[in-house]
Amino acid sequence: MGAAQFRQIFLQPLQSNRSSQFPPPRGHWRSHLQCKGDAHREGTDLVCRRVSKLLSGTDSYSDPFCRAAARGDFFSVSHSNDDILSCVYKWISDSPALVVARSAPEETVTSSFASFIHAVRPEHLSKIVRYRSKRMILDSIGVGLVGSTTHVFDIALKYCLELYSSVAVSNVYGKPGVKLSPTLAAFTNGVATHSMDFDDTWHPATHPSGAVLPALLAASQMLPPNSKPNGLDFLLAFNVGLEVQGRLMHFSTEAHNIPKRFHPPSVVGTMGSAAATAKLLCLNMTQCTHALGIAASLAGAPMANAATQAKPLHIGNATRLGFEAALLAARGMEANPFILDDISGCSGFSAFYSIYQPRSLSTPNEHHEFLLEKQDIAFKRFPAHLGMHWVVDAALSVRNLFINYAGSFSPSLIRTIVLKVPVSKYINRPFPNSEHEARHSFQFNACTALLDGEVGLSSFTESSIHRQELRELLHKVVVEHPEDNVANFDKMYGEVAVLLKSGDVLTGKCDTFYGHWRKPLSRESLLKKFRSNASHVLPEEKVETIITMVDNLENLSDSSHLACSL
Amino acid sequence: MWAKTITGNFASVIHGLNTNHLTDVVIQRSKRMILDTLGVGLLGTSTEVCQKVKQYSKIYSSDISSTIWGHLDFRLPPLYAAFVNGVAVHSMDFDDTWHPATHPSGAVLPAVMALSEAFPQKKKISGLDLLLAFNVGIEVQGRLLRFSSEARNIPKRFHPPTVVGTMGSAAACAKLLALNQMKCKNTLAIAASYAGAPLANAATQTKPLHIGNAAKHGLEAACLASQGLQGNNQILDMESGIGAFYTDYNPQTLPTLQSYPWLLDQQDVAIKRFPAHLGTHWVADAASSVRRKLVENSGNLLPLETIEKVIVKVPEVKYVNRPSPNSEHEARHSFQFVACSTLLDGSMSIQSFASENIHRPALQELLCKTQLEHPSDNKPSFESLYCEVTVVLRDGNTISDRCNTFYGHWRKPLTKGDLEKKFQSNASEVLPAEAIEGIIETVYNLEKVEDCSVLNTFLSGQSARLLPEKLHVEHSNS
Repeated sequence: MGAAQFRQIFLQPLQSNRSSQFPPPRGHWRSHLQCKGDAHREGTDLVCRRVSKLLSGTDSYSDPFCRAAARGDFFSVSHSNDDILSCVYKWISDSPALVVARSAPEETVTSSFASFIHAVRPEHLSKIVRYRSKRMILDSIGVGLVGSTTHVFDIALKYCLELYSSVAVSNVYGKPGVKLSPTLAAFTNGVATHSMDFDDTWHPATHPSGAVLPALLAASQMLPPNSKPNGLDFLLAFNVGLEVQGRLMHFSTEAHNIPKRFHPPSVVGTMGSAAATAKLLCLNMTQCTHALGIAASLAGAPMANAATQAKPLHIGNATRLGFEAALLAARGMEANPFILDDISGCSGFSAFYSIYQPRSLSTPNEHHEFLLEKQDIAFKRFPAHLGMHWVVDAALSVRNLFINYAGSFSPSLIRTIVLKVPVSKYINRPFPNSEHEARHSFQFNACTALLDGEVGLSSFTESSIHRQELRELLHKVVVEHPEDNVANFDKMYGEVAVLLKSGDVLTGKCDTFYGHWRKPLSRESLLKKFRSNASHVLPEEKVETIITMVDNLENLSDSSHLACSL
Repeated sequence: MWAKTITGNFASVIHGLNTNHLTDVVIQRSKRMILDTLGVGLLGTSTEVCQKVKQYSKIYSSDISSTIWGHLDFRLPPLYAAFVNGVAVHSMDFDDTWHPATHPSGAVLPAVMALSEAFPQKKKISGLDLLLAFNVGIEVQGRLLRFSSEARNIPKRFHPPTVVGTMGSAAACAKLLALNQMKCKNTLAIAASYAGAPLANAATQTKPLHIGNAAKHGLEAACLASQGLQGNNQILDMESGIGAFYTDYNPQTLPTLQSYPWLLDQQDVAIKRFPAHLGTHWVADAASSVRRKLVENSGNLLPLETIEKVIVKVPEVKYVNRPSPNSEHEARHSFQFVACSTLLDGSMSIQSFASENIHRPALQELLCKTQLEHPSDNKPSFESLYCEVTVVLRDGNTISDRCNTFYGHWRKPLTKGDLEKKFQSNASEVLPAEAIEGIIETVYNLEKVEDCSVLNTFLSGQSARLLPEKLHVEHSNS
């Protein structure tokens, strides 16, 4: 990629701001600029590689960068792995000069908030503030006290009393002795399900099962002995939860691509869990409506928490809060009965989308066709974001070519590794630092597959992530986004090209990885995955019992037996 | 009505589906998913993040419990006490309103009060600690509301307390827990994942849940962060962070701590006189003046039959425009209802929202004669909106009045006496007089109270006789 092309790609979007003056540092972006005259010696190639790496980086780097760039016509071309944007190129006509920018963490808006919260002291409270806030407190208590005579309060109170001061009844995955209240068991098990990003993925993109199953398991244990749902009821409720998620995903064309604003399981998952538990609890139609309405008020978590420990909470909360919504609806709580409809000026579920076109479900007749019928699910083979699976399969085939070519895999022969993947900021992480970041990094997964010949549970341990040879390989990676490679799990592909120092190029491409809905896991592979996963916490005999129970789920007389065996 | 809406249609499908609808393919695929999910979940139990949430969830089985306001007979775990008390605060839409629009106190106070009871016995939370945490929670809400010019007007997409309230509760709890800076940051990040409820649930029973959940989830976020759970450390900086809730997000840093300029210093809150949406308070004051003129010559009785129509000029706010409210919650969000009730009764009160008052024929008759107008200069902002009520009589005469600032608005705050009167009237529904006096005195002296648990004691309904023992008021020299 020559300088001309580089300018075309990266200067274009900023052109409108190029003539602007460089205002004083604003917000959290403060650059300390330091000239180094030897930039031109590094060559256009390296510059372009670094630019590409940076601009395709995570939000956290490219956003402040773009703002700085827009203001001052600066271009960052690399960032180090210690989370500091380290180099910025000032592009003055054709003679580049290297400048260094540092953005200390305490200078971000977020950190200014955190340090405020942390450091503010009682002496900071002025007289007026104390006076006014005391008035507010007094008033607030008063309205709360009178509010405790209301119907809505009675419902909320009954709900808490029934669920949180009674005996815990629901099992926690892998902890036979431990029981929790039903919604908290759902929460905990939901978090467990998504804790490694190892759970299933549907199209349009969401993780449907983790949002539904833990709530149903916990609910099945909560119901009294004479009204235990059987295995078939359980299966139906599960599918209602899936169907609702799938239908909601089709309400917005936005939702067809990998998301940018809200994490889909936190939006549709919460609704799915409410629908599924409403079904299992046999709520009437009015109650079902309100369950969806209440659930909408509990839905929606921003994408920014992807690749952090807070992401598993999204699934835990989807399943738990949807369940809570159904329980509240069962006790007569009312919500907006038009929550899914497009209400202008007063958003319902549409609040989570910028394009929203709700569509009716056909009333079930003899032959209701579930979405799952038309669209199967993808199962992951290793615990990472689904997008990684294409890149890993492509990298594995390149590795085989490499071994045929050179006799063994020798990183020293490699000049550059080019990954051709769709644009999706939150899974483009050049140098991941934590397990959760590594699970969301094209670069990390490609390099691990090249080095080790596989990606598995142990690939994401601290020591694997930080080993020297992997870090060296990561430095050789360049990410490209071909126009025809769209961020959509039904259409995307992964291509890995290894450019050798000899000038030879080895290429591998994956259109459909093993485990994708077009190429589903065999029963053997699925059972192998289950046994390997479950045997970490359960004895073999229990593992086999669960397999048999799920195999025969529609014949199970009491579905709570499944939850009890966990 | 059900089949006509998408929502009703979804409900009917959820309700109508039965086991016969399941096909072999669906059963087979879903069983695969169940099995896989179980395995994945079982494996996940050994993860660090899972350890943390389990540790956290254990608080429910512990002995720690917090006061439920107005109830001596039982207590709940802190999280659910925050929830229940938060729901109570917003259950009548009677709590304070700030500018830009949110209900700041209800999201914060129940959380910090519940949390203050969750500390080990020997650790006392002083009144000043409580005041500080409360103000941190209020300040964070106010600052976040200034990150979007959208937020300056009455909202359309998300109910503000569910966005900024959750963050405020989290910040206040982080402060009370004395979390370090890194954990404060994680508190905000985690809280963001709990934020945001659509506005459509306004005027339903679910709206009070918004405040209860803001309090509960902010507290939960702080507890999870204190366990070491980590989230995105730039949650306020990113479009895909808190920016996800706004279309014109523009975050700003806070001022430095030296002589910190609190927003509450610059901008007071509005305190409601009757339990309804703030916008209806302008309507009530305007309608009340119109009534006074109308009844001057008719022995204090509204000459209902002489009224041709009622015109109410208000800003366009869809969710407070309800021509014929059917429930208490709808009535609290109806310009029309408040205009007509005030014309009939002279003033609004808690009783105005009783079912028999909502459905009385005189009111229904007047509602039919009422229409809203939205002059273009009447903007949906609590800082600038006004209300003009015009009654057109059969004989062609019109009587009209306008309210620019209602009594209770931040430009015309309630007197100390009226605020106390409101408190006493509210609290006397559930508490004995001694406890009420105890609360008033404790709050007035809050910064001198050594152990704020006394406040919770009174709130539970215990008698004020405990006051001398528990309330150690320091005599300050200044």
